[in-house]
Amino acid sequence: MPEGQFCNKRPVNTDEELKALLGDTGGQKYYQEMKALEVDTALLWSTIQKTMKSRIKTWLSICAHCGMCADSCFIYRVSNRNPKQVPAYKIQSTLGEIVRRKGKVDNAFMHMAMETAWAKCTCCNRCGMYCPHGIDMGVMFGYLRGLLYQQGFVPWEMKIGAGMHRVYRAQMDVPNEEFVDTFQWMVEENQEEYPRLEVPVDKEGADILYTVNAREVKHYPEDLAEAAILFHIAGEDWTVTSEGWELTSLAMFAGDWEACKMQVTSVYGAMERLKPKRMVGTECGHAHRATVVEGPYWAGRKDGQTPVPSIHYVEWLAEALRTGKLKIDPEKRIKVPVTIQDSCNYIRNHGLKEVTREIISYIVEPGYFRDMSPNREHNYCCGGGGGFNGIGLYRRQRNEALKTKRDQILATGAELVLAPCHNCWDAIRDLIEEYEVPVKWSFLKPLILKMAVVPEHLKPRE
Amino acid sequence: MYAFLTGPMFWLSLAVFIAGLFWRAVWYARGLDWQLDRVAYRAWPKEGARGAVRSVFRWLVPFGTRGWRVQPFMTVVFFLFHAGAVLAPVFLLAHNVFLESKLGVSLPALPRFLADALALLAVIAGLLLALRRVALPEVRILTDWRDGLVLALSLAPFITGLLARFQAGDYQFWLLAHIISGEAFLIAAPFTKLSHIVLFFMSRAQLGMDYGIKRGGMKGKGMAW
Amino acid sequence: MFKNILFATSATEASDHAARVAFNLARQYGAAVTVFHVLGVPTRGYSQVVVDVRTKESVQVDDEYRAWVVEEIKNQHGGEMKKAPQAVVEVCVGYPHREILRAVREKKPDLVVMGGTTGGDSVYKKALAGTTLQKVAKAAPCPVLAVAREAASFWGGFSSIVFGADFSKASDAAFDFSLKMAREAQCELHLFHAVDVGATLMGKIMDQDTIEGQIRESLNRIRGRYVAKMGDFKNYTMEVWEGIPSIEIVKFARERNADLIVMAHHARQADLEDSPMGSTMEQVIMRAGCPVISVNRLPKA
Repeated sequence: MPEGQFCNKRPVNTDEELKALLGDTGGQKYYQEMKALEVDTALLWSTIQKTMKSRIKTWLSICAHCGMCADSCFIYRVSNRNPKQVPAYKIQSTLGEIVRRKGKVDNAFMHMAMETAWAKCTCCNRCGMYCPHGIDMGVMFGYLRGLLYQQGFVPWEMKIGAGMHRVYRAQMDVPNEEFVDTFQWMVEENQEEYPRLEVPVDKEGADILYTVNAREVKHYPEDLAEAAILFHIAGEDWTVTSEGWELTSLAMFAGDWEACKMQVTSVYGAMERLKPKRMVGTECGHAHRATVVEGPYWAGRKDGQTPVPSIHYVEWLAEALRTGKLKIDPEKRIKVPVTIQDSCNYIRNHGLKEVTREIISYIVEPGYFRDMSPNREHNYCCGGGGGFNGIGLYRRQRNEALKTKRDQILATGAELVLAPCHNCWDAIRDLIEEYEVPVKWSFLKPLILKMAVVPEHLKPRE
Repeated sequence: MYAFLTGPMFWLSLAVFIAGLFWRAVWYARGLDWQLDRVAYRAWPKEGARGAVRSVFRWLVPFGTRGWRVQPFMTVVFFLFHAGAVLAPVFLLAHNVFLESKLGVSLPALPRFLADALALLAVIAGLLLALRRVALPEVRILTDWRDGLVLALSLAPFITGLLARFQAGDYQFWLLAHIISGEAFLIAAPFTKLSHIVLFFMSRAQLGMDYGIKRGGMKGKGMAW
Repeated sequence: MFKNILFATSATEASDHAARVAFNLARQYGAAVTVFHVLGVPTRGYSQVVVDVRTKESVQVDDEYRAWVVEEIKNQHGGEMKKAPQAVVEVCVGYPHREILRAVREKKPDLVVMGGTTGGDSVYKKALAGTTLQKVAKAAPCPVLAVAREAASFWGGFSSIVFGADFSKASDAAFDFSLKMAREAQCELHLFHAVDVGATLMGKIMDQDTIEGQIRESLNRIRGRYVAKMGDFKNYTMEVWEGIPSIEIVKFARERNADLIVMAHHARQADLEDSPMGSTMEQVIMRAGCPVISVNRLPKA
């Protein structure tokens, strides 16, 4: 049975395998091997029989082929209304076809399905809101990704990402010690300005357990510093954990459900060990969806809830501003036209559409906020969701997909885009570069930090 | 012939229709899996029910959702078609006279003019839906022969019924054709996409529960899906 | 004085002058040198694509690519690197200021040497306010020496050091460092302060009595705050001028034939973004005819 050295049906479980896979620059050999990868049709069909229940079966069979989902899909709109980009067509021609053929599909078919699942759908779940029958094609693409992952037909970066979670319980090769050390470093770097700033590690019973995105630790630890400072000036009783600190899940994008479970149970383990009153996660959309919304199900928690109540950073921020824990200097409010990117993963998947507007009411000078159209639960994906941002193979398609957001932003006339989601932040950065769009963009933390009033007793004594 | 069609065949088709659709609904509900669907149905019955009801209700109201509002042509045609398809057969005087003779019970009947208009509009809307399938590339690519068959099965009783009603040509012929096509519809319903007669409610309710329980329904303001 | 120098290079001509100073210092003090280069900025979320800071191209970084960049650096600074044959070249991926600071934290050098600002078109600039130099100078625990002009790099040792005072806590650390250097090199130390009559007053014109009053007051502060700490060190002068501080320091340094300017750079993060021309320190670096060392904090005991 042709299985490649890199491209095969085995997940990456060790650091050595991970390094070897990373060493295959750009996944050249990986994709070469994929061309010869055999489809285990028996496994495919038995998996479907075990995991495809009435919901997805019914979705596939009662689709009325009415095409009302077409216009809901930003990728369809941005590809000159190519009928092959209609969500119903995309899922029927992939998952639907696999089911109709009882799993008997070949290598070429799986290549097509892989491209459809990762380059034609970002799992933004928007189409599901426009189907009269309530067919959520984003959910089905998530399911399809799982089937493709099991068969080894998964983009190189996604296999690496899932492997990172398996080996490090983080989306990048950041060991636990490095996380704690980096957080402490950031705190030290800011202790001159905030003399009593500290990062409590593994403190039991704190009000807040803060979890992050490994990318922050690796590349922009300023984000950790900003989070620490904001908790500090808000007077919060907070902590981080030395294990289970990663909120994100590239495994979810990859369709590696086993790794998804490993990842979230590490975070839930920290919750159970430290018993915080609640968890606050960083400004990341998919991470919130993975750990807070989907995670409990992967971990087998029957109430669908995390062990302690868990909220997104925007919820904490809105609350801190509402209750006056954080005070904004009215002079420093944003006074340029500004818009906000609504992240699919915490709005269409967790309903957090009003809290971000509430934050805006505190930090933007009245009259300067310009909402995108459409917005809230009807907003379009940033163009890079669901793993799209990270896949080199589909860079061209991704850049095309960014045009939707570009045009939406330009239509607002905003000079600044707030993006409280790592994926959106990345996509907006890329579209600014790719299409030379003259706007700035930012997470909320650095902006809030600039306008927040620091209580007298926390200021340095000169 | 007439006796057979309105006798054993009527009972058979009605039984297949009801039992078949009932079975599909039961099969659907039994197949829901909290972990695979990732919706904690049992843990949050109240939130789930609220989401389900909202979801079904909003989609039953013309222009009740953004999905309907952004496609006004489709919405008008769709609701005309379904209004005719549901109201005309169920509340038609002739049908209820027939039912009375069979079951001894009947439903209130629509005024003749209204029933005619509904039926006629349903036919026109059905033809527009067929036209839409052919004319719009994004619908054409999805369409296969089954979609044509389902539409034909739905329209045939209306067309034959109207021809019989207005006595165009041979009344007996059109009446028999009407009964046959009507019974074909009833029998086909559980086995084709016509099963959406019940599965629409099931599927919508499921997504409503998904949103009501998991995807933000408990975060305050619900969204209409 | 210097045993362990971290030379952070952009691996372009912009760092050539800094290279000359770094390796001259290394030779003079027998210091070990790490040539440190952040070759690319990570991009595209979790993709493996990196934008090369020199070529501005998207590349996949693997061992081969790293080796190639190391060779490129050796070509760029080859002539200077001969002065310290043991110098090590290290390359990595990340946001330059952060990776330089990370390396400083690991290697604990007693001096970081950097070139001038590479300009506004750099690939990572847009993501972050302020320049790499500003950010490194702000947060580094050790002194940071910067050379932006060729004219500032022809330099053979210390005979005249200018300390630009601003009476802040950071400035106290810069003073300690200046004094230590001056003692060690047995050279002149010039204590200097400029009364700002320019930009920060928003066009308001100060009358001459006020200016002169401030000059007298500043001289007193220099005496009280710095001279008092100098003990037996007598080879010093002090001077207070009025004008735009960055320009006045450069003028003063030229007049005293200074071969080193020492000052504090303690801008807050928020300030970085609001001053498009850069901080006073960066202005000085851009204009000075000698290297400039930024010192913000006393070495940790």
